[in-house]
Amino acid sequence: MARTANQPVMSKAKKKSLLKRSIPIYIMALPGLLYLFINNYMPMPGIVLAFKNYKARKGIYGSPWAGLKNFKYLFATSDAFIITRNTICYNLVFILVNTFFAIFVAIILSELTSKWKKAYQSVILLPYLLSAVIVSYLVFAFLSPENGFINNSILKPLGIEPVSWYQEKKYWPFILVFVNLWKGIGYNCIIYLSTIIGFDRGYYEAAAIDGATKWQQISRITLPLLRPTIIMLTLMAVGRIFYSDFGLFYQVPQNSGALLPVTNTIDTYVYRGLLELGDISMSAAAGVYQSLVGFALVLTANLIVRKLDPDSALF
Amino acid sequence: MKKKLLAMVLTGTMAAAMLAGCGAGNSGSSGGAGDAGAAGTESADTAESGSTQAAADELKDVNGYPTTQDAIDAIQERKDSGETPKLVVGFMNFVGTPKGIERISQKISERTEETLGLDVELQIMDMASYAQNMNLMLASGEQMDLFNAVSVGFSPCVNKGYLYDMYEDDLFKKYGQGIAAVVPEQYLYADVVGGGFYGITSQKEQGQGLFGISIAQQYLDGIGYDYQSKYENEGDEWIYTDYDTITDIFRQLHEKYPDKTVFMTDKGTVVGQCLPVDAIGGDYFGSLLDPMNSLTVEDLFSSDTYMNICKQMYAWNQAGYFSKDALTDTTGTTPAVKAGSLMAYKTALKPGIRAQESNLCGQPMVMFQIGRENFSASNTCNSMPWCINSQTEDPVAAMQLLNAFYTDPVLSNLICWGEEGVEYKKTDDGHITFADGVDASSSEYYNNVNWEMPNQFIADVWEGNDLDVWEKTATFNEKCDVSKGMGFIFDNSAVASEYTALTNVYTQYRDQLELGFENPEKLIPEMESALKDAGLETYMKAKQEALDSWAEENGKN
Repeated sequence: MARTANQPVMSKAKKKSLLKRSIPIYIMALPGLLYLFINNYMPMPGIVLAFKNYKARKGIYGSPWAGLKNFKYLFATSDAFIITRNTICYNLVFILVNTFFAIFVAIILSELTSKWKKAYQSVILLPYLLSAVIVSYLVFAFLSPENGFINNSILKPLGIEPVSWYQEKKYWPFILVFVNLWKGIGYNCIIYLSTIIGFDRGYYEAAAIDGATKWQQISRITLPLLRPTIIMLTLMAVGRIFYSDFGLFYQVPQNSGALLPVTNTIDTYVYRGLLELGDISMSAAAGVYQSLVGFALVLTANLIVRKLDPDSALF
Repeated sequence: MKKKLLAMVLTGTMAAAMLAGCGAGNSGSSGGAGDAGAAGTESADTAESGSTQAAADELKDVNGYPTTQDAIDAIQERKDSGETPKLVVGFMNFVGTPKGIERISQKISERTEETLGLDVELQIMDMASYAQNMNLMLASGEQMDLFNAVSVGFSPCVNKGYLYDMYEDDLFKKYGQGIAAVVPEQYLYADVVGGGFYGITSQKEQGQGLFGISIAQQYLDGIGYDYQSKYENEGDEWIYTDYDTITDIFRQLHEKYPDKTVFMTDKGTVVGQCLPVDAIGGDYFGSLLDPMNSLTVEDLFSSDTYMNICKQMYAWNQAGYFSKDALTDTTGTTPAVKAGSLMAYKTALKPGIRAQESNLCGQPMVMFQIGRENFSASNTCNSMPWCINSQTEDPVAAMQLLNAFYTDPVLSNLICWGEEGVEYKKTDDGHITFADGVDASSSEYYNNVNWEMPNQFIADVWEGNDLDVWEKTATFNEKCDVSKGMGFIFDNSAVASEYTALTNVYTQYRDQLELGFENPEKLIPEMESALKDAGLETYMKAKQEALDSWAEENGKN
């Protein structure tokens, strides 16, 4: 809030007219805000479930309190370290790799003038729209030990021994990062691309007149201007660092048990454990835990950003 | 400022809790709660005494089964009220909601309006989504009066308080006399938990022949194997054999048809369908290794039994009888045979199995059994019981409807087979078969889950089965070795963290071992130490304690 002091004090009339001008924008935001409220805020009292020993007949509020018992299973087991490590490390790698390649592709696309530009964009976006189950079978078509493309059409002609992909865990960190990149890059790069297109072309024209090369334009104009967007998207991703893409970690490895040490994350662990237990309170506890850690991480990350560069901080 | 507001909203979105079930506030909708435990034990005593039996002898319902004055009054009262309550009945099949569901609900309602004064709405869901949907419906208090707890899990339902205690207000004694006459007593009360009567087993085979191998006849003919002479008795459905004979058959099949997969087994069923080991309490983390004689909870995974079966599977896999894709393949075995890519698979045996599997595979199958053990595990009667939802508005009507499903052949035929003349027709010799112009794929009501239906024994027999299949089933049930732990249910909520961890460990190793992808000599010790780290001993100890106190209560020692 320190920054407000430096800003010129607005007169009341000016404030009023600003508000008036913003009304259409607020109306436009209304459906989204309503959705947000109904979907994300109204169920919030359900958090109480995580601390209850839920009995259907007594209802959510009538069920007896259970204290922190429901949280115990997340920490008490020998797997706690593995699932936490997998969840966080994969997400960190995803954030780095995806951001780098998304910006890379966005800049390339923004420099293109070909009439095919729209087509490229759509093709890159396509994987993002596929369901994880379909993606898992596309991957399977490559990796199937019996009929897969890699074993039969690449390794065999080269005289290399075929690999049982779904039994060998050492390959999977790379496979998962690659699949995640392939699937997510289209969406990320659209956000960056739309930001880049919004930049004032005047900067580039001025730079070109001054004899700046393409590379100089990118590194001196595009990237600095992109910084707030990068920081915002990264902060949002950091907030979800404790969640994992269930489809990616469960469907894509075809739920193969042999790969669990490298594919088990908090979400798949909870799913496997609670599928048979059907315990609502314990699932809710996992959700609350993920949310709290996510919230804390966003606050921390924002704090750091504010220290380094106050203008880019979210709040 | 706007940027900040936006930012706050965004952070809120990210941090917002997972949707944790919005259906609150439906408590108190079910009348007559009271002290379930006390009421349960009290009426348990009276149910077994002869006093009700004497009264029941005098009164008969429409189908000639015993009933009570209370039941007759309840029906009359419902009819007089001028309103016809609608009850929702839920169960699962493998193909999803059948097209004819509304018509069949209508037909069932026509019958129940007349006999019970109520209407019925069926809700049939496919296996993949059944447990999830049912959990949501039960948790949110949506109307679902009667349902089968298969796949949802009986024990979790009891522990979560989803089930109505039929001892409460003498519900079963007053309105369930027909069921008491139909279901044999040793199976009827197998779903009594902690003094509460929560479920009634469906009428089915109450055990299974272990380690059955089903091989398509055309391939046996192809290698010139003479199976006809191998049956021990005329009319036997399967051939008793041993592991070496089957291995030899597999070898010949593999040589003759190298491009087809020889053998496959559905994942996670190897222990359950091959070994006389009782997954007491619903999981293998502590099992009864000698279930007919002992109630000692032991570790299956360090036993020789487990090592041996894994070695057998390993030998078959190394010989190339399994598909290399078996680890990730989720296709069922019978569709694979039907598609022509698979020749043999493992199954559990029971009377009528040959007709059932031949129908599923679309060709004649020959059945073998390795060894000759028929086993009835402790969870036999609680794997698919019929239950009344604890939140039902009218428990009396629900109990009476369930009673009618167990006793009324008209209802049983409708729910098992659909409508006569539309889905099925009677043949001259007393069987039933598809109606003219209908087949398995075009039928609007062909669930093929009669083992899950309350009482298939009173429905008509499908063509291809012996007309006396249900008498054979009764004999089979008698001959089964019954686990001493029959009827025990384990509330594992106190050791849920261990359970979650153990499940994850078992998932990691199970298919590699049980489908023979890894050498068990090497992998089993690795799994053992992982299980130990995950708390196997704590879990087994908790289970043994629960089992001991259950045995004491029920006089099993």
